[in-house]
Formats: sequence, structure tokens, C-alpha cells
Amino acid sequence: MNMPTQNSGQADTADQAADAGAKDAVVAARGLSKTFADGTVVALEGASFDIAPGSFVSLVGPSGCGKSTLLRLIAGLIDKSSGHLKVHGKPVDAPRTDVGMMFQRATLLEWRTAIENVLLPTEIKRSLTKEDRRNAAELLRMVGLHDFRFSFPTQLSGGMQQRVALARLLQTGADVLLLDEPFGALDEFTRERLNVELMRIVAEVGATTLFVTHNIAEAIFLADQVFVMTPRPGRIASIVEVPFERPRSPSLQTSPEFNEVVAEVRDILGEDH
Amino acid sequence: MSDRRSSSYALAYWALRALPHLLLLLALLPVWELAVSTGFITSILVPPPSEIIASIWELYVLDGTIYPHFLITLTETVAGFAIGAAVAITLAVCSALSETFKRYVSPYAIVLNVTPGIALTPVVIAWFGYGMGSKVALAAIISFFPIFVNALTGLLQVDRDSEEMFRSLGASDRQAFLKLRVPASLPLVFAGLKIGLTTALIGAVVAEFAQATAGVGVLMNRFSFQLDMGSSIATLLSMTLIGLLLFYAMEFLDDRVVFWRREGRRSVVSRARARRWAAKFGGHESPETEAASSK
Amino acid sequence: MPAADADRGDRRSGLGLQQRRALNHAAIFLTIVGLWELGSRMGWLDPLFYPRPSNILRSFWLIYIENGNIWPEIYSTASLVLSGFVAGSVLGVSLGALVGLNGMVRRFVKPYVIVLEATPRIAVAPLLIAALGFGASSKIAIIMLVCFFPPFINTLSGVVNVDEQRLELFRSLGASKLQLMRKLVLPDALPVIMAGERLAMTSALSGALVAEFIQRDQGLGALIMTYTRNLNMASSFACIFTLTILGFLIFRFMEWLDRRIAFWNSEEGLQRVGARRRKRMEGLA
Repeated sequence: MNMPTQNSGQADTADQAADAGAKDAVVAARGLSKTFADGTVVALEGASFDIAPGSFVSLVGPSGCGKSTLLRLIAGLIDKSSGHLKVHGKPVDAPRTDVGMMFQRATLLEWRTAIENVLLPTEIKRSLTKEDRRNAAELLRMVGLHDFRFSFPTQLSGGMQQRVALARLLQTGADVLLLDEPFGALDEFTRERLNVELMRIVAEVGATTLFVTHNIAEAIFLADQVFVMTPRPGRIASIVEVPFERPRSPSLQTSPEFNEVVAEVRDILGEDH
Repeated sequence: MSDRRSSSYALAYWALRALPHLLLLLALLPVWELAVSTGFITSILVPPPSEIIASIWELYVLDGTIYPHFLITLTETVAGFAIGAAVAITLAVCSALSETFKRYVSPYAIVLNVTPGIALTPVVIAWFGYGMGSKVALAAIISFFPIFVNALTGLLQVDRDSEEMFRSLGASDRQAFLKLRVPASLPLVFAGLKIGLTTALIGAVVAEFAQATAGVGVLMNRFSFQLDMGSSIATLLSMTLIGLLLFYAMEFLDDRVVFWRREGRRSVVSRARARRWAAKFGGHESPETEAASSK
Repeated sequence: MPAADADRGDRRSGLGLQQRRALNHAAIFLTIVGLWELGSRMGWLDPLFYPRPSNILRSFWLIYIENGNIWPEIYSTASLVLSGFVAGSVLGVSLGALVGLNGMVRRFVKPYVIVLEATPRIAVAPLLIAALGFGASSKIAIIMLVCFFPPFINTLSGVVNVDEQRLELFRSLGASKLQLMRKLVLPDALPVIMAGERLAMTSALSGALVAEFIQRDQGLGALIMTYTRNLNMASSFACIFTLTILGFLIFRFMEWLDRRIAFWNSEEGLQRVGARRRKRMEGLA
């Protein structure tokens, strides 16, 4: 476990720190803060971290700890108030094609079949080619929905809809995947199964993944690193390294070593969690 | 699954469902007839069924007097509705695209809404004459608002998460409007169109009551003033028919366009798209994939 | 305090923005009215058919103050609308609840409801006038008829669409059918019923106008008809704008009624009724 550098907000030192950030980091943040418009709510304060290529990072914490804010900053959906944020060495100022996002709700378009939903990101960039279509069908096979590629979202169960959303995320071609409680609305069994599949799939495509959840066990089970976040003001309290080998099986969650890490995270979050 | 067999099943099912209704109606008719002939109900208020049936026979079969009037009212309604809907949807799209436009147009739309459109009947007749023009105009005026307000609500009410998803994909405003807002608004647009159609019919008929030379409203007025209640009700029936005809035409369109809200249509469209995909891009396997029902 | 400063600055600029917008609204309105007046004076618009705004204003003065002849007509129309609305919507709600209660009755009534829904109700006006004769009774009958349907249909659907789990809760508590209706079904359906009442009120005014157009004796409808036939279009428009005001008042009234009755749909209503009930409970203790 290593404590993140608590940034006091002086621009010059932050600048140096940003330049000094690990050269190969996919996502690098120094003193990243976000204050919402009315000036009273500090959603995120002084976040500094480096995320290595291909790693899986979980963001865990109670509501109001800024985990969704952090994700939306990286996605370029909202602007930072201060600090530095780079993805692939370039500052983030707008949504980018190398960063993709998935939400708690599948947000599929009801009037499009599964495969047409998967093709949406490409359609927004340019006109479709035969190759795009083959790729989309292949992605639906990867998430186990090849037989349902012409079904409409309302004909699919909640878990299946999230699989389509995952395929759509992969279709963007982004290598930084941001997942905001993607399976939060699903039942326990479906969620566990999808988590295992998610690990397999992101390993297969070699993407760097940030995964938001408020479930501690889930956060640890999936990740190489867990960012433990606390509210008021939202900040990264600690970064916990997860030592377990991959591939991991669900039975890992019952081992004493696993529970030790859970206890460690719980300790940082304090007694109100 | 054979479509023909399932449709004949459906027919039998409906016949079975309709049977008790028909029996009840047949049982009620003699009671009604008897009640009038014994003077239990005054025949001026409610004519006996025999008289209504005789009038229907005369108006619809023997003389066929009703048909030209029927066609005129139908034309007025459809024309008025088309004009009202075109203006309403154009203004709704402009209002949805431009905040400024919406701000400066909405007060007039609100004034138009709280004014009963029917109140304009005499004025519209003075402006557009005794012919079909004034009926079309009134139908257009009173069908405008429900369509406008539904279309605008539909276009403005957009799912925040979907909007954010589009932004994260780097979609332009134009793309988000065409690919997200417009399709998402269609169910409400059609709800508005259905209400607008009903009000357009009311507009046409009321304008005919006020002053006209032809149309079912004129016929209705004439028969009522002659105290010929049987023929009046027979005429009323054709207004119901126009209403039903237009409603089901709109329902049919709604079914085709907003297919994703209709369980039956959804799987049909799903299969059709699979076939089209296979024909255009080739499928390495059979596209006949059955849609899963959501659990 | 910088935060307070910023806040005040924001509010100041917000006020300025609003003033600017109000000014724009006024400018647009005056331009339209001005063009109309100008068009009429220059002879582009036939003043016989398209009255000048100045003439409409003068008509307002005439019919409201100098002659004052609009007041009895407003009274006539408003009292008809109110009585027809109350009678029709009470009938609609009670019949809707009654029909909704029993699945059997509902099934047999449904086809008639579909047919009657497709019929423009106002179209029955001449028939009712013929049956009931000229005068207030046939007018009220027409208004009742147009006011009957929206509450009837909404009550019916509100009663049918009761939440299954709440229904099970009431059954498990051994509630009688009457208790079920009074304590669960009707309160639950109230917002939907109120939506029906709003629709009914709007159509009530239209119903009254149609009845008055046909009878041509009393009320705002008859007045508009007479003025228009005499090509006194300015006065016609003064009457129509009167109806706009009447329609607006009715709209606000129904909104107010909705907030009173279905209070749990607004934060303000929850607080108001919550405070009252707390006082009552504390008084009891």
C-alpha cells in the first residue's frame, strides 16, 4: 500500500509533478480537482495517480466520494477545476476516441437491434464498412450474444442489455475503458458472472480499465489496484495493490488472503461503511 | 411457426370473445324497442331501434345520401389535420432546436391553448367562406396545439444518460438530434397526432354545424331540426365511423413507425432486419434467430 | 465574502437578462400588433374582416364598460359550464369507479366505450337540442356529455391499474371491497382522475360554445355569432379574447384544485398537509 501524494494545489510543483509522471502511464493525474458551479460542493480534491497500460483499476467508496466525477473527468464529459490530467500523454479537454465509457444503465437505443446499437460509435465517426459490421458481429459473439444480434433491447434481459453495451464500448476501439457501476442494477448472480466475463474480455483486448463500484469485494476481485475514495470532500484516500494471480476464479473471494485485503480497504473507508 | 395458423386461431379467439357481446346486444334490442312502444321511454328522446335501423337502411343502402357528405367531412378532417400537424411539427422542431425561438413563440402557443379553438368558428367562417375552406381551417387550428405540445415535450424530454453516452462517443449536436432525440420523441409525437386527429374531426363537424352546405354536420343539423331522431342517429354513426377509420389508420402508422414499443411488431421487424442483413452482407449462418423474451 | 459577492453579481446579471427578455417579448408583440394596425390602415388587410387592434381595444371598452353588455353573457356561459362540469364529471367518476370494480361489467362495457370514444361528443349537440328543446337544459346536457367521458375513462383506467403488491397488502389485512375502494383504489387513481377532470373542464367551455352557436340565444357563443354575422369583427375578437382569459382562469383553477386534491405529488403540498396533520395529531394526544 502506498499513500498518494497529497497535493496542496501550488501550480508550479503540480506542473513539475505532471512532467515527472511515469512516462508509460496511460492515465496520469496530478492534483486533479473538481468543484461544481455553485462553489460549495467539492466533488473531487487533489487526486494524483498513474495508471499503467493494461491494468485494471477499481474505484470504490460511498456515494459522494467523487468516483463518478473522476470517471467523467477522464472521459472528458466535464471540465476539471484545477490540476493536470493526461491520457496517453495528451491533456483531456473533450470526449476522445481513445477513451470509452459505459454506464449503470445500458442506454441502448430501443429502436435499434443489438448489432445496430453496437455499430453506433462507428456510425458517429464515419460511414460503415463491411469490416465494421463483421467486427460488431464478432464482438457480440465475444460477449455471448451472437444469436441475439438482431434482437431489440426490450427483448433482452437486463444482463444481456449490459453485454450489448459492453460490445458497443469495445466497438469504439478505445483502449481506456471507463465503467461506471456497469452491473450495479443487476442481480447478484448475473453480476458475478458478468464480472468474470468482463475480466476475460478486457484481458483479451488488452485494455486499461477503470471500474467504479461501491462493493468492496467486487472491487478487489476484479482489480490490480483499488483506489479507495472517501467523501466530503471527495478524494483518493489510498491506493491498495491487489496481489492475486490471474486468471482468478470466484472461489478466490472466500480465501483468507482475500478477506485480509477486504479488511484493509474497509479500515481505510472507516466505520461508516 | 406458421403465421396463417396463428392468425386463424386469433380469428376464432376473437369470434369467441365477441359472441357474448353480440348476444347481450341482441337481448337488449327488443327490451329497448318494447320500452319505447309502451311509452316507458319517450320516442323523441330515444327512438326505437327499428326506426334507427330503418334510417340506416335508407341513408346508407337505399338512397346512399350519406356518402357524399361522409366524403366531404372526411376530406375536411384529413386536410385540416395535415395542415395543423405540419405547422405544429415544424414549430416544435424549431423550438426544440433553438432555445430563443422557443422562448419567443411559446407565449403565443399558450394563448392559443387556453383559448377554446371552437370560439373561432364564426370568425373562421367569415374569413374562409361557407365552403370546405373554413372547415379545413378550423380543423387545422384546433388540431395544432395537442400535436405541437406533444411533439415538443417528446423532443425536449431526453434521457440524460443516453445524452451523456452520445457525448462520450463524440457525437455532434446534429447527430444527437437525428439519432437520439427524434426517434425517442416518436411515441409522444404519435400520441399527439392521435389526439389531433380527433380534435380535427370535431373542428370540421362544428364548423359544419355553424354554417355549411354539405357534410355530415349539415345532415345532422337538418335531421335534428326535423325531429327525425332515427336519421340523426344514423348520421351520428357515420361520424363515429370517420372517427374509428382515422383512429385506426393512425394506430396502424404508429404500429409501423414506433414498432419497438409493440411486442408483436418488434419480433417481426427483428426478423426482417436479420433477413435484410443476410441478403446485403451475407451471414455465415442462418439469420433465423428467435428473439429471446426478456425475463 | 467572495462567494456572497459572486452570488449577488449573478443575481444582478440574471435580473438584467430577464428584463432584456421581457423587453424582447414586448418588442415582438408590439411589432406584430403594429404591423397589423398598419396593414389595416394601409388597406392591405380588409378591416371588415381583420379588425384593427385599436378597434378591438375600443370594443373592449364598449362591451365591458360603456354598454357593459358582455357581463350577463359571461355569467350565462360560466354558470352553464360550471353546473354542466360538476354534474358530468361527478357522474363520470362514479360510473367509472362502478364499472371498474367489476371485471365482468368492464368487459361488456368496453366495446361501447371504444365506439363512443371515437364519436366526436360535441356532434351529439343538435340531437340533444332537438330532444330536450331550446334552453338551458339542453345546453347543460351537452356540457355534461362532453364532461362525462374524460373523467369516466381516466377513473376506469386508474381503478384498473392498481399496484398489485398494494392490493395484496390490503387483501392480507382483510380489507372489505368498500375499504379497498376508499382507502387504496380511489386515492391511488386520484392524479389520473384529476387529469381527466382538467380535460373535461377544457371541453366544457367548447361544449357550451357549440350549444350557444346552435341556439343563438344567450352566452358568449351566441354573442360572437351575432357580432360576426353583423361583421362587427372587432367585438367578436374582444369576446374571443375574453374567452382566452376565461380559459386561462379555468386552467389555473384546475391546477390549483389538482394541487389541493392530489397533494402528495408536490413538495409544497406534502409540507402543507403534513403540517396540518401533525397539528391535528398533536391536538388529539
